[in-house]
Amino acid sequence: MPIHDQGYRRYGGGKSPRGQSWLVIARSGIRTMLQKRAFLGLLLVSWFPFFVRAVQIYAAANVPQAAFLAPTAETFRQFLDQQEIFAFFITVYVGAGLIANDRRANALQIYLSKPLTRAEYIFGKLAILMTFLLFVTWIPAIVLLIVQIAFAGNFTFFTNNLYLFPAITVFAFIQVILVSSAMLALSSLSNSSRYVGILYTAVLFFTQAIYGVIYAVTRSSMLAWVSFSANLSQIGDVIFRLPHKYDTPWPISFVVIAATIAVAAFVLDRRVRGVEVVA
Amino acid sequence: MSDIIATDHLSKWYGQVIGLNDVSVTVPAGITGLLGPNGAGKSTFMKLVTGQLKPSKGTINVLGQPIWNNPSQYFRIGFCPEQDSFYERMTGLEWVSALVRLNGVSESDADRMATRAIEAVDLVEAMHKKIGAYSKGMRQRIKMAQALAHDPEFLILDEPLSGMDPIMRRKTIRLIKDWARAGKSILVSSHILHEIESMTANILLINQGRILAEGNVHQIRDLIDEHPHTVYIKADQPRALAREFLTHDDVLSLRFEEAAVVVQTGRPDAFYARLTDLAASGSLGAIHEVTSPDDNLQAVFKYLVKA
Amino acid sequence: MTEVAPRTPHTAPRTVSSAFRIFDLSLGQMLWSRRSVFLGVLLGGPVALAVALRVISAMYTSGFRINGAMTPGSTIFGMMIWLLYIRFIVPILGVFYGTSLIADEVDDKTITYLFTRPIPRRAVLIGKYLAYLVCTILLVLPSVMLVFFLVVPTGGSTVAEAFPPLLADFAMLAIGLAAYGALFAFVGTRLKRPLIIGLVFAFGWEPAVLLFPGYLKRLTVAYYLQALVKHEMPQDSAVSMLLQVFREVPSVGASLAGLAVIVGLTLWAAGRAVESREYILEQ
Repeated sequence: MPIHDQGYRRYGGGKSPRGQSWLVIARSGIRTMLQKRAFLGLLLVSWFPFFVRAVQIYAAANVPQAAFLAPTAETFRQFLDQQEIFAFFITVYVGAGLIANDRRANALQIYLSKPLTRAEYIFGKLAILMTFLLFVTWIPAIVLLIVQIAFAGNFTFFTNNLYLFPAITVFAFIQVILVSSAMLALSSLSNSSRYVGILYTAVLFFTQAIYGVIYAVTRSSMLAWVSFSANLSQIGDVIFRLPHKYDTPWPISFVVIAATIAVAAFVLDRRVRGVEVVA
Repeated sequence: MSDIIATDHLSKWYGQVIGLNDVSVTVPAGITGLLGPNGAGKSTFMKLVTGQLKPSKGTINVLGQPIWNNPSQYFRIGFCPEQDSFYERMTGLEWVSALVRLNGVSESDADRMATRAIEAVDLVEAMHKKIGAYSKGMRQRIKMAQALAHDPEFLILDEPLSGMDPIMRRKTIRLIKDWARAGKSILVSSHILHEIESMTANILLINQGRILAEGNVHQIRDLIDEHPHTVYIKADQPRALAREFLTHDDVLSLRFEEAAVVVQTGRPDAFYARLTDLAASGSLGAIHEVTSPDDNLQAVFKYLVKA
Repeated sequence: MTEVAPRTPHTAPRTVSSAFRIFDLSLGQMLWSRRSVFLGVLLGGPVALAVALRVISAMYTSGFRINGAMTPGSTIFGMMIWLLYIRFIVPILGVFYGTSLIADEVDDKTITYLFTRPIPRRAVLIGKYLAYLVCTILLVLPSVMLVFFLVVPTGGSTVAEAFPPLLADFAMLAIGLAAYGALFAFVGTRLKRPLIIGLVFAFGWEPAVLLFPGYLKRLTVAYYLQALVKHEMPQDSAVSMLLQVFREVPSVGASLAGLAVIVGLTLWAAGRAVESREYILEQ
């Protein structure tokens, strides 16, 4: 026809299958964080212990006098422990504003007015934080394992410690899921990311401080389950088949972790809504 | 001192983005409307006038003195910002009173001044309620109350009518005119052209960081040569009138509407003079209505902004 | 043009009186805000712990034994002061409130009302800082007092004996709140991401640097503050034992002077930052 219609035309292209909207949120969030130079610096610094460990492994494999530096299962366990401080800063940096900023901007209603379920929204946000946390915990630990094989030139260590790969994976994922869900739940409670960051820090360090007092007074680590980081550490020792640092029974630590994740899920279910339920 | 605001080559940029570009303008006493489309630089100008931003280049004087880092000027200035933000847990009276106290007045004086300001904006019944419970219009009014509680000589109102119902808008416009009559100078920023027009004929038109026009809206209109004036004439014999109009070269075009003729003229003064004579003589029938649809702020805005 | 009638000239606004007016305005806001309620609950943690310890101690008629030795309640109180208040609560309150003195007003977009009043901008900062100080002291001291009265009477120590040191503890905690608050007020006005930087400083830099010998530890608040603590540092971990080995304790005078310099310098710098900075509110 000679004169074309300039009016609105419906989108005629392909659409992603339903249930993948969370990927959009995740990708967008990850891209936004990667554009921040300060954050990229933090990620870079987080890999510094990896390089130190890599040098240690190289030296152990190639310098006879440094054989005492040879890695063991505990090396990887300790590495993941060391990465906890970076995980903490990344959690506060990335996680505090994940839902809080949306609440501040009244964006929740806009998100949930799209064909996006609450679960997809939550998973999308979780995925952002989990991605970065896995980047500083699981990925460097696995790469360290690969580096060990590469520098040693054989699979001896790997075959002697076959459980290491699943141990690293399981522990890293437990840690990341616990931390991400807790932070996301806290983020849903406020519209100030600053407040959320402090809340998270307070919960983490305060429980540790309380346990410190209990230990100082009783000289017993039976009540270590009071501290979140102690619970994680206890589970880590179990997974890596190492002597337990605390006397607290590991099933209790596991229950505390599971309960925390359950409470976080409950809080998210109540708080992530397009409208506020008054009555 | 006669100019309330005087800027000289005032510029403000945010990184690579120019907010205001080489503005040299004076704002006289009385009511002045600040107009411009979104992103024109109105907010930047308001923030420079209220001392929230520092000029990147040039100077700005408010009431004869620089405003940036000059807190004593705020004794004489009252600012009603656009944003809807308060200390929500305080009542209206507590909030206005607390802010007035920052002017150095005693608690009892502050309460008295706050109450008077709240009475002026017709919010007395709600002054003991928490601001968090206020409607949008009430929040707007309590904002205006805090701006005028300390009896400033210069009021800066950023979108003062936003959120108000039509009745409250009319009341507020009346209030603003009353304040001007009482000797205050007022700078009002708004998108709502006809309401600015009902407050003042004195405007400052801004677009893309530059001042397009300043002064009386009718004078500005007269100066916009490339847009001929439109005159709407409702009469008994519109075609006869049209024949008469076409004999003069200042009539550029005309069209007919129901019982009316709409004329475009390049010389409105001469045209109106002839039209007056015609109406008085009645030789071409009775003339019932004469209006100028574009001798108004909307037309000026449209012509200048789209130019 | 219309002449504006001349008015009586106003006197220039004074920082101190303006600061007190801001303090007046801010104190109520801070005390009854949700964050203070949360912190009040947090400060209930040590009290709850003290109650638990008291109940447990009542089950052992002779109190607590540490490494086989009878431990008076005043020692346990000292441990709690170290582990809970000095190493955690005081720094976290400083970070929490100090970094948000101005930032909260900016986020809430109420800063405009304060900065368009005839008061110097630094008075806004100082007034809010004073409000923070009073608010946190009002939260912390009752918590400390309750813990004291619950824990000290166990294991043979008496409240009468331990009361004068308690007053010293109050003063020390108040000074700590003042120092951390001023430092983080400076961080909050000067730096982006002040919360992260504050946490890195309080829970990363300070504990790490105190372990090393040399002058680096003088770049911490904890070095000066910990010198004012009369209680023995608890040996709850290898890190604490290391700290004991490398611990240099300045004199009380030097500590007070150091803390006064920190407060003065950081508040002055924060005031300068607030006066020169442009605050662009989110639209």
